[in-house]
Amino acid sequence: MKKNLYVLLSLLVLVSMVLAACGGGTEAPATEAPAGEATEAPATEAPAAEPKVATGAWSQEPDNIVPYYTQMSYAIWIVQLTLVGLAEWDDQGSFVPELAAEIPSAANGGVSADGLTITWKLKEGLKWSDGEALTSADVKFTWEQVMDPANAPLSRTGYDKIASVETPDDTTVVITFSELYPGWQTLFTQGPNNAGAILPKHVLEGKTALESDPFIHQPNVFSGPFAITEWVAGDHMILVRNDNFYGSPAILDQVNIKFVPTPETALAALQTGDVDWYPDFSESDIETVGALEPAVHLKVVPGADFEHYFFNLGTTAGVDGKGVADQDGFCPFKDIKVRKAITLGINRQAFVDSLLAGKTTVPVSQWPNSEWENKNLTPASYDPDGAAALLEEAGYVLGDDGIRHGDCNGTDTPLSFTFDTTDKQLRVDIALAVQSDLAKIGVEFKPNHSPAGTFFAGYTDGGIMPTGNYDMAGYTTGFYPDPMPGAIDSFSCNTVPSKDQPAGANNYLICDPQLDELMAAGNATADPATRKVAIDALQQYIFDNYYVVMMYARANVYGYGDRFVPGPFGFFSNMNWNAEVWDVK
Amino acid sequence: MWAYITRRFIQALFTLLIITVLCFILTRLSADPLAQYATNPNMSSADKEALREKLGLNQPLPVQYFKWLGLAVQGDLGNSFFSKQPVLLMISQRLPNTLKLMLTAEVITILLSLFLGIVSAVKQYSLVDNIITTFSFIGFSMPIFFIALGAILIFAVQFKALGWPYLPTGADIWDQKDPIELVKHMILPVSCLVIITTAGYARFIRTSILEVLGQDYVRTARAKGLSNRVVLYKHALRNAALPLVTIIGLDIPYLLGGALVTESVYAWPGMGRLFWEYAQRGDFPVVLGVLLIISTAVVVFTIITDVVYTFVDPRIRLS
Repeated sequence: MKKNLYVLLSLLVLVSMVLAACGGGTEAPATEAPAGEATEAPATEAPAAEPKVATGAWSQEPDNIVPYYTQMSYAIWIVQLTLVGLAEWDDQGSFVPELAAEIPSAANGGVSADGLTITWKLKEGLKWSDGEALTSADVKFTWEQVMDPANAPLSRTGYDKIASVETPDDTTVVITFSELYPGWQTLFTQGPNNAGAILPKHVLEGKTALESDPFIHQPNVFSGPFAITEWVAGDHMILVRNDNFYGSPAILDQVNIKFVPTPETALAALQTGDVDWYPDFSESDIETVGALEPAVHLKVVPGADFEHYFFNLGTTAGVDGKGVADQDGFCPFKDIKVRKAITLGINRQAFVDSLLAGKTTVPVSQWPNSEWENKNLTPASYDPDGAAALLEEAGYVLGDDGIRHGDCNGTDTPLSFTFDTTDKQLRVDIALAVQSDLAKIGVEFKPNHSPAGTFFAGYTDGGIMPTGNYDMAGYTTGFYPDPMPGAIDSFSCNTVPSKDQPAGANNYLICDPQLDELMAAGNATADPATRKVAIDALQQYIFDNYYVVMMYARANVYGYGDRFVPGPFGFFSNMNWNAEVWDVK
Repeated sequence: MWAYITRRFIQALFTLLIITVLCFILTRLSADPLAQYATNPNMSSADKEALREKLGLNQPLPVQYFKWLGLAVQGDLGNSFFSKQPVLLMISQRLPNTLKLMLTAEVITILLSLFLGIVSAVKQYSLVDNIITTFSFIGFSMPIFFIALGAILIFAVQFKALGWPYLPTGADIWDQKDPIELVKHMILPVSCLVIITTAGYARFIRTSILEVLGQDYVRTARAKGLSNRVVLYKHALRNAALPLVTIIGLDIPYLLGGALVTESVYAWPGMGRLFWEYAQRGDFPVVLGVLLIISTAVVVFTIITDVVYTFVDPRIRLS
C-alpha cells in the first residue's frame, strides 16, 4: 500500500515535470522575427549612452501587421509605426505626405481635370530598412497583390476601381481609375480606418496566398520609423529604430508594446512606471486617470467616431422594389414626430457632462470634429415638455400604466419598445439614464445588452440588426477619412440586408430615395469644395428627419507617465502617426 | 484490465465527439466571427460577403462542423479566422506559459493544503482549527479578480508609492529567460491561485482525515498502543489521501486550460486568455482547438486515474 502510494505520487510529479518540460523555454518560438535579418534590417547601432526605451500597454494584440489583411485598430497602429504609406493625416486632420514628395492636387498636376488620373511623386532616395531602394515599382506591386485573386485581402474597396498603375520612373506613380473615385486619398495611405502601406516587392514578389504567408506575422523589412525585432505571442512586441526611415530618425532607440487585457492592470502599471502609456482607456475612465496627475497625465482627444441610437425603419414593402427588409420596424417610428420627441426627450448633454466628464460633445451629424461637419447645425436641446407635446400631437396619450398609447396603422400601440446594444458598461449606464428620461415623457424604453459578437452578428448568422429583429439599437461608428463610402454603405436602399443581400450594412434598414440621391451627389465629384456642399445638404436632411439620435462624439482617452513625451495627438490619426518624435525624459 | 481500458477509450471517443458538437454549436450561436467587421466603413458589403464565403461561414452549420472535424481527426485544427495562424501553433505558444503558472500553483496548493488540512483535523475545534477554517472560508468566498487586483494595488502600486521594494504588475517587458525575473513575476499570480484553491483542498483534507480518524481500524491502532504520530501518518493519512489523489489526478488536465481571470489581470500569455479572447470573437477553430485538447486530457487522465487507483487501493479491481 505504502509503496503504491509513493508510486502514484512519483507518477504525478513525473507527469508534472514532463508537462513542464514540454513547455520548453519561455519564448514563443514561432512569431519571433528571424534574428539575423531583424537586427540587420534596421541598421541600428547601439548608442554609447543608455538607450532610450518607452513601453506602451495595449489592450489587444494585433492579428497581423500587414495592411490589407487586417482591419484591426491595434494592427493599424503597428502599421503606422513600421510600414508607412504615401501619405497620412496629421494632428490637425490635414492630409500630409509620407513617402510621397507632395500631395497630388489639380494645382500641381497630380489630379487630372476629369479626376480619373492621380499622379504621385515619391521622395528621392527612399529605402527599405534592409537598404533596398523603395520605388514606384513597390507601389505598383502593392496594387497588384491586393487585386491578385490568389490573395485574399479583407478589402479591395477602391483598389478595384483602379484600371492601371504606371511607373514611368522610380519616383512617379500614375494611377488611372476606371470610374470617378473621390476617396482616392484612402488608397496606399495610412489612416485610422485604412491601412494602405506600401509592400516590399523585393521580399514578396512571386508569393501567393499572402494571407497565410509568414511575412504578415514576421515581416523583416520595414519602412516606418521602427522595425519589429521580436513578437512573443500574447505577451509583447519589441521595435527598434529604423535608420532608413524617410524622415528624421526616431528619437527613441526602442519601443516596447505589452499586451495587457485589462485597463485596471494598465493603470496600475502606469502608476508603478512598468509602462509609459496606455492608449485605450474608456471615456468612463476619464475621472480615474485624471485623478492621477501629475504622475500620470490624461489626454482626451475628441474623435471622428460617434455613438448613436437609431430606429428600425425597415419595411417589408420596400420602396419601388428596393430596400425590402425582412421585418417591418416598430410602427410609431415611421412618424417623424415620434422620432423627434424621443430625440428631444433624451438629455444627451447631461450624459456628456456626468458620465463622460464633459470631455466630449453631443454631435450634430455623422461627421463630428471633422472638416466635413455641417457647422450650421445645432444639436437639439433636451426638451421633455416639447417632446410630450409632440407625442400628444402624434396621437399618443398617457395611459393608466404611465405609457403613452396611440393608433398606428389601425392598431392601438403602446410606446413601449426594446433597445439593443452591447454589454459595455458605459452603454449599460447610459441606457439606464435614457430609460429614466424617456419614462418621464411616457415612453417605455427596454434595454437589452448582448456581447459584441452576438450584437453585431451578420444576416447569415441571424444577427438582430440585419434581420430587423429590433426596435431601436445603438453602437459606435464613424465615416472617415473619406466621408462617403461608409455613409453610403450604411444608409443606401441598395444595402438593406435581406436574403438576396446578406452582407448589406444598412442596419437602420432605411430606404429613402431622396437620401440616396443626396449621397450620390456627395460622391459625384472629387472636388472637396463641391463635395462639402453636397455633404452639408446630406447632413441637413438626416438631421431634419431625425433618422438617428446622435448621442456623443467618441473620445480617444490616453494615459501616459510623466517620463514619456508623446508627439501631438491626432483625432484622425491617434498618437502613432508621428512616433518618430516620441521621447523619454 | 485491457478490455476495460479499451472500452473506456471507445467511450471516450464518443464523449469527445459530443463535447465538440456542443462546443461548436455554443460557439457559433454565441458570436459571429465577422461581427468585428460589422461597423468597419473600410469594408464594403461585398468585402464582407467575400470574406464570409472564403471562411466557409455561409455554409450550413453541419457542413462547417464536419469540415472542421475532418481536419481535426487528421491532426489539423485549422487556422484562426482572426490571426490566420495555425491553431496548433497558437496553442503551442501559450501552453508552456500556462503550465509554468498552473503547475507551480498546483504543487504549492497541494503541499499547503495538506499541511493546513492535517493541522486543522488533528486540532479539531481548537483556536488553530478555527483560524484555519475562517481563513479557508474567506479564501474560498473571495472572487479571484478581487484578490488579484487587490494584490497588485498593495504589493505593486502602494509598495512603490511607499518607496519599498515592489512586485511587478505583469505589464512590464521582462527577460523570461532569467529565472529570478520569472519567480518575481510569478509571485502574485501564483499566490492568487493558491489562495483560492488551497481553501477548498484544505477543507476537503480536514474532513477526509476526520472521517478516517473515526474508523474502527484507527481505534484498533490506538488500542494497540501506537503513538498518535504513527496512527496519523501511517494509518489515517494514507487512507485519507486516497480521495485527494483522485481529485489531483482529475485536476491535472484542467491545468492546461489556464486561469482566465488570473492570466488576464497579470497579463500572463496563457491558454485561459487565448480561449477567452478568441471565444469573444467567435473564432471557433481556436475555441474548439483549445477545448479539444483540454477535453482529451480530461478523458485520458480520468482513465489513467482509474487505472492507477487499482494499484493504490487493493480493494478496487477493474473488470
